[in-house]
Amino acid sequence: MRRGRGAHLTPRRLLGVLAVLALLVVASIVAATLIGPTSASLARALGPDGAGTPDHLILFRTRLPRVLLGAVVGGALACAGAALQGLLGNPLADPHLLGISAGAAVAGALVLVTGADPVSPVVPLAAFAGALGTMALVFVLARRDGRAAPTTLLLVGVVCNALGAAAIMLVNALASYTQAQGVLFWIMGSLSAQSYVLVGLVAAYALAGVVALGRHAQHLNLMAAGEEGAHALGVDVERVRRTVFVAASLLVAAAVSVSGMINFVGLIVPHLLRLLFGPDLRLLLPASFLGGAVLLVWADTAARTALGANELPVGVVTAFLGGPFFLYLLRRTLRRGSA
Amino acid sequence: MLRLLGAAAFAVVLAACAPPPAARGDGARIVSLAPSVTEILFGLDAGARLVGVCGHCNFPPAVERLPRVGGYLSPSVEAVIAVAPGLVIAVPSPGNREAVRAIERAGIPVLVVGDRTLADLRAAIRAIAAAIGEPARGEALVARIDGELDAVRRRVAGLPMQGVLLVVGHRPLIVAGGGTLQDELLRVAGATNVAADVGQAFPQIATEVVVARAPDVILDAAMGTEEGGRDLFAPLTTVPAVANGRVVRIAPDALFRAGPRVGEAAAALATAIHPGAPG
Repeated sequence: MRRGRGAHLTPRRLLGVLAVLALLVVASIVAATLIGPTSASLARALGPDGAGTPDHLILFRTRLPRVLLGAVVGGALACAGAALQGLLGNPLADPHLLGISAGAAVAGALVLVTGADPVSPVVPLAAFAGALGTMALVFVLARRDGRAAPTTLLLVGVVCNALGAAAIMLVNALASYTQAQGVLFWIMGSLSAQSYVLVGLVAAYALAGVVALGRHAQHLNLMAAGEEGAHALGVDVERVRRTVFVAASLLVAAAVSVSGMINFVGLIVPHLLRLLFGPDLRLLLPASFLGGAVLLVWADTAARTALGANELPVGVVTAFLGGPFFLYLLRRTLRRGSA
Repeated sequence: MLRLLGAAAFAVVLAACAPPPAARGDGARIVSLAPSVTEILFGLDAGARLVGVCGHCNFPPAVERLPRVGGYLSPSVEAVIAVAPGLVIAVPSPGNREAVRAIERAGIPVLVVGDRTLADLRAAIRAIAAAIGEPARGEALVARIDGELDAVRRRVAGLPMQGVLLVVGHRPLIVAGGGTLQDELLRVAGATNVAADVGQAFPQIATEVVVARAPDVILDAAMGTEEGGRDLFAPLTTVPAVANGRVVRIAPDALFRAGPRVGEAAAALATAIHPGAPG
């Protein structure tokens, strides 16, 4: 993953790429808002008496906030994925595959079955704690000399996921039938909880995470070339690691707490963008946020419309996109690793 | 110990007195693996024959004293065998299939009855009544339920048909679709299920579908279990149910059980949907 194809990163190139991606995000949001399981007329919604019409309600009060939530969640997951891949020096790092999403989900589910209000701040806080705890575990177990070997990382991920799945099953077994049903659907992933307040809340969490990561992008670049060298250049390696660790947990937790488990976004997006623009994290981190936004907006549009009014869990769509992609990456990585 | 002996003696006496069962199995010691089955047995005046019930059986209150033999969809084969039943009654489910097979392999007869529709309910009552040797009580119970449902139909006859959305879960939004018991009960109660054609028994829908289908009444069966949904529908101001303050919370149990309380459930629906109608 270190053989970047991209040219040297100039401010102009950075801004140019981000501007194009941002345009793509805006275009996707507009287009996705116009596509849905029910027909709603933009002309009527924006007409003289538009505010009171169902069209207005559908487009601006239910569909747009959902599309925006998808953009923020997708961005958070992809950005976290890019940071983890940089930090672990491993292209297979992904919040889902490492079990970090599962850790967040377990903690969230645990709080949910105690009867917590799903929209109260307790759920994201619990998810944050779960993500942070799992990430710490992954780090302790998988890292060696600043790197995590693909096989080690996969094993850690498999085990963390299995533990997470077991914990969720345990929570479900002890919960009432209706609560268990709720947790199950929550974990399958859905962006159906839509309100601008929620979008704003998640966006604030995500922004804090992205800014924290962005400030260490150059340090991560240096660490990628070798932690000793980075240390010699004055990078506080431990501090960078800790910050990235917490910021990525925050991003994953923000995403999981509102949308359950949406898999593979954190894997696909940084990869495609690295192929396109090279490995420099100063570009890759913000670009991944924008790319993740585009991917999840469209994945959710597919989930909302593929079966008419009958919705699919969006996690199903991303898993079907990401699963094959992961297998392809795995084969490539292992082949190169053994060569 | 004395009570146990007493119960055993009672069972023996019952077994001696009971007419030979019409179906396979011995209806004197019954284990019920579903809340609907338990309610049907009590409806047939055969509650005293129960020697074990599932973990979700909560009605009538008399079930509280009975041994639990595992979850609704996850019965414990050992716990079932331990109470030495002569007959186990279950509902069809992928969750209990293996356990049911294991119980049968242990030599205990199992009766499986459907629990999805009103037709299933009638068939289940008749099958259970036959299995415990009380076919007449079965017919009487079916007639009673049909009478109650007819009474609800008469109550709402001539009233304007209302479009209703029956909400089962909030996050995500899950509603009762077509082909379900709830869909049938809505029709009995003088309503059309606006989600009847979405294409699944309990589909997940987007909020905008609620806006587009514009129900006159939203019946919320999830509100008791999911506190977060209090204001879920409030922003949907163009939906008649919201505009007219007709988002009504309903207690879920009887409504989601193909048991003898469906008449009661239909009556409660009718009251919620047509509040002005004569009781």
